[in-house]
Amino acid sequence: MDGFSGLLHGFGVALTWYHVMLMVIGVLLGILVGVLPGLGAPNGVSLLLPLTFTMDPVSAIILLTSMYWGALFGGSTTSILFNIPGEPSSVATTFDGYPMAQNGRATEALSFAFLSAGFGAIVGVLLITALSGWVTQFALKFSSPEFFGVYFLAFASFVGLSGAPPLKAAVSIALGFSLAGVGMDSVSGSLRLTFGFDVLLAGISFLVAVIGLFGIGELILTIEDGLKLDGIRAKITPRDVLRTAAQMPKHWATLLRSSIVGCWMGITPGGPTAASFMSYGLAKRFSAYRANFGKGEPDGVIAPETADHSAGTSAMLPMMALGLPGSATAAVMLGGLMIWGLNPGPMLFVERPDFVWGLIASMYLGNVVAVVLVLATVPLFASILRIPFAIIGPLIVVVCFIGAYTIAGRPFDLWLALAFGVLGYVFKKLDYPIAPLILAMVIGDKAEDAFRQSMIMSKGSLTIFWSNPLVTGLMLLGLVLLFWPLLGTLRQRLRPSRV
Amino acid sequence: MARKLGIALGFLAAGMAGAAAQGWQPTKPVEFVVTSSPGGGTDNFTRMIQSIILKYKLIDQPIVVSNKGGGSGAEGYLVSKTAAGDPNKVIFGTNNAYLLPYVAKLGYKFSDLTPVAALALDEFLLWVKADAPYKTAKDYIEAVKAKPETYKMGGSQSKDTDQTLTSILSTVTGAKFIYVPFQGGGAVGTQLAGGHINSHTNNPNESIGQWKAGQVRPLCVFSPARLPAGPKVTETQGWADIPTCKEAGIPVERFQMPRTVWLPAGTPAGAVQFYEGVLKKVSETPEWKEYIARTVQTGQFLSGDSLKAFVANDDKLSREVFEREGWIVK
Amino acid sequence: MVARWQAELGMAAFLAVIGVITIIGAMEYGVGWSPSGPEPGAFPFYMGIIILLASLANALRATLPRLRPPRWAEHAFLKPEQLRLVLGFTLPILGLVVVSLMLGLYVGMALYLFGTLVLQNRYPMLKAGLIALATPFLAYLLIERVFKVGMLKGPLEAWLGL
Repeated sequence: MDGFSGLLHGFGVALTWYHVMLMVIGVLLGILVGVLPGLGAPNGVSLLLPLTFTMDPVSAIILLTSMYWGALFGGSTTSILFNIPGEPSSVATTFDGYPMAQNGRATEALSFAFLSAGFGAIVGVLLITALSGWVTQFALKFSSPEFFGVYFLAFASFVGLSGAPPLKAAVSIALGFSLAGVGMDSVSGSLRLTFGFDVLLAGISFLVAVIGLFGIGELILTIEDGLKLDGIRAKITPRDVLRTAAQMPKHWATLLRSSIVGCWMGITPGGPTAASFMSYGLAKRFSAYRANFGKGEPDGVIAPETADHSAGTSAMLPMMALGLPGSATAAVMLGGLMIWGLNPGPMLFVERPDFVWGLIASMYLGNVVAVVLVLATVPLFASILRIPFAIIGPLIVVVCFIGAYTIAGRPFDLWLALAFGVLGYVFKKLDYPIAPLILAMVIGDKAEDAFRQSMIMSKGSLTIFWSNPLVTGLMLLGLVLLFWPLLGTLRQRLRPSRV
Repeated sequence: MARKLGIALGFLAAGMAGAAAQGWQPTKPVEFVVTSSPGGGTDNFTRMIQSIILKYKLIDQPIVVSNKGGGSGAEGYLVSKTAAGDPNKVIFGTNNAYLLPYVAKLGYKFSDLTPVAALALDEFLLWVKADAPYKTAKDYIEAVKAKPETYKMGGSQSKDTDQTLTSILSTVTGAKFIYVPFQGGGAVGTQLAGGHINSHTNNPNESIGQWKAGQVRPLCVFSPARLPAGPKVTETQGWADIPTCKEAGIPVERFQMPRTVWLPAGTPAGAVQFYEGVLKKVSETPEWKEYIARTVQTGQFLSGDSLKAFVANDDKLSREVFEREGWIVK
Repeated sequence: MVARWQAELGMAAFLAVIGVITIIGAMEYGVGWSPSGPEPGAFPFYMGIIILLASLANALRATLPRLRPPRWAEHAFLKPEQLRLVLGFTLPILGLVVVSLMLGLYVGMALYLFGTLVLQNRYPMLKAGLIALATPFLAYLLIERVFKVGMLKGPLEAWLGL
């Protein structure tokens, strides 16, 4: 059973009152988890997991995935309103979402984020519906060199854009990679850069860094401006949401490109976080309003959100068909699958079509439910901005530290969050770019692992990165994107001399 | 009917818990420390136990599960030291509890852990790609021996069970592999299905999906006896049809990974007895037996002396490998 | 007043130290190229080198007036009143961290909220007290009751038996 008939069957399974209720509960819990920094989707889903042991697998996966969608949406909310990414994948949303909110366009930014996220999610599910067999075959072609190529491509499409002084960007990137290297090195099985401190054993959590660099750092900057912010007086009416919706078609190019990037990263699987960075980078590169990026450009919200969600949804395919988790949350669901007695693999589609197609159908429904619910919360969340900074400031600080602790229950993370907060503040004042540091932290150890695995396979020969058309293509495309800004300046320099 | 039975069992279990309540009892919420990240094998093991304890109300206090998987799980075992004497923290892990301190400089020693029980043994199999020409494990090993260090053996992590087993395999047969460490069993499985590596030693439930789909095929199981016959996995074969490695001519008697439970150092003996009792009851529930069967592990409850003996034996075996490979840090 | 170049120099020096620490840490594990690819320390080693060299260059740029970008002279990095604001905000956070590590996060956040709202923002005692008590309570309900995640606790919680 495949494609259309499977999907119809799936809707028959998913469209019951019970399942719709589970979706609503899942999405609402997910929004809550997503809004709180630190307490992310993986935690949320694993907390629900024991509840599902006694449920029917179809109902169980609907509950868990709905929670995931809710968390993905919720994570963007705090990114836009407070510059605190609730989920790792919504870091890139802060770049333009937060400036938009600061300019009094919070409702618009939130609506853009949710609508484009919904769009991305639907594209992701469409891909799964139509091309599952082909995609699975394609994903099997990926080994360590190809993974390295994927990370390289994501990295190349993002760096070189910040406009920051190159020396400082270099420091940022190298610092990010070094931080990612702290802790257990999975290729050699030894501890690195821990200097014998047990607190560094588990590495430096990228989420703590994000809470500090973005959340607390931004608060210090706000305070320093000396403005006793009275909150932003934004009038919020449901009509704003509709007006933004009407603008969506104008951004079709960004939507389309970002969906493709997202699906690509979901399947390969490079992960939603890297997808959102890559998509943001490409949007900026191809935009006519490049100078507006980072100052509140709607495309800068649409691009990461679309990619993030299409990656999140399409990552369900490698999870089911290959047993490969594309994100931390998918890893938890995979564990659930095994406990429910389902074996991920191509045969899952044949043996349990009710499960697979029920899940796929529920992804359409769940995302629609999520968009509706989350849009309904826009006025509520946007009105938080009206609370005077004198109160909301300390409360955000408290939420940040609760978040920093709940990530892993490590007291040391409180110190780290504070240190990263101060670092973020100084970095921003001295034009050290923060985004490349974060991206380096996200993909650093994965890229390094993939590189070293490739080297083990090839016995130390670099030619493995040119050993087949797929990896060669990835590397070439990466190189082109990496040197694109340089090519641009070269062209500009050559042109006047010709005239 | 099934539900009634469940309720009856629940009462029975509650009654048993009441009877055991003479000794130590937790007085505040109990924390289950998982030495893997969410979704890992140890995580599933812990959450399964948690749900059974909740269902049969085996512990009166609420249970909080926390994942401390940093440093291959060392972060979780460190709790034994930082929370020394705290009987409300229970640590769930594998044999890396006593093997990790060999390969990395850590803030805890194995003696800091108070053993409680082991509930299951996870099995290891030798897998190759389905269309590989080797009929038996012996064939494959001969092929590897003919061309040393060209065949790639995948596994999860480094200096962990998979690499240890690969090393044992090399020593006893003389076949030299290139060991490639990946992030987890899922990734390793996909690499084999895609033909990027030649073999791996995944646990049964990590590769059952791909076996069903005819992408990979098991050659032998590193267990003293064949696995229990369940429903057929492929059209012609089930778990019991896989020969043991010894049958197949590879002199490795057994290689299994225990799923273990520990308490911090200096915990009162009463607490150890309490959790041992709880876990014993867990291991006797139908839910547990179903979980064991579904994940094709071997259910075996070890505690007290039997656990000590198992650990001592496993420790000795692995230590030999670690010494030979030069993995031990001083 | 802190001038921009002084801040730049300080930051560059700090990062250079981080670079050196990274290099030293990486040296423990071999930084060469073995037959099976780069050794475990190689990658962090070169990252440390990049941090160190780029920071030295940045430091040089900050020290030599000729190399400084002209716009650095336009604004001070921190004016005294800004410093006062920043410290007034950051020091209580430091207090929050220290108190939380000793007495638990609930007590820490209650004291922090009460302190900042009353002393800094001149909020009425009663309202501030209400916020300071309600926040930990809500956090407890949400984090520990709904999501069943453990929180950093101190002697007070132990005494209450939570």
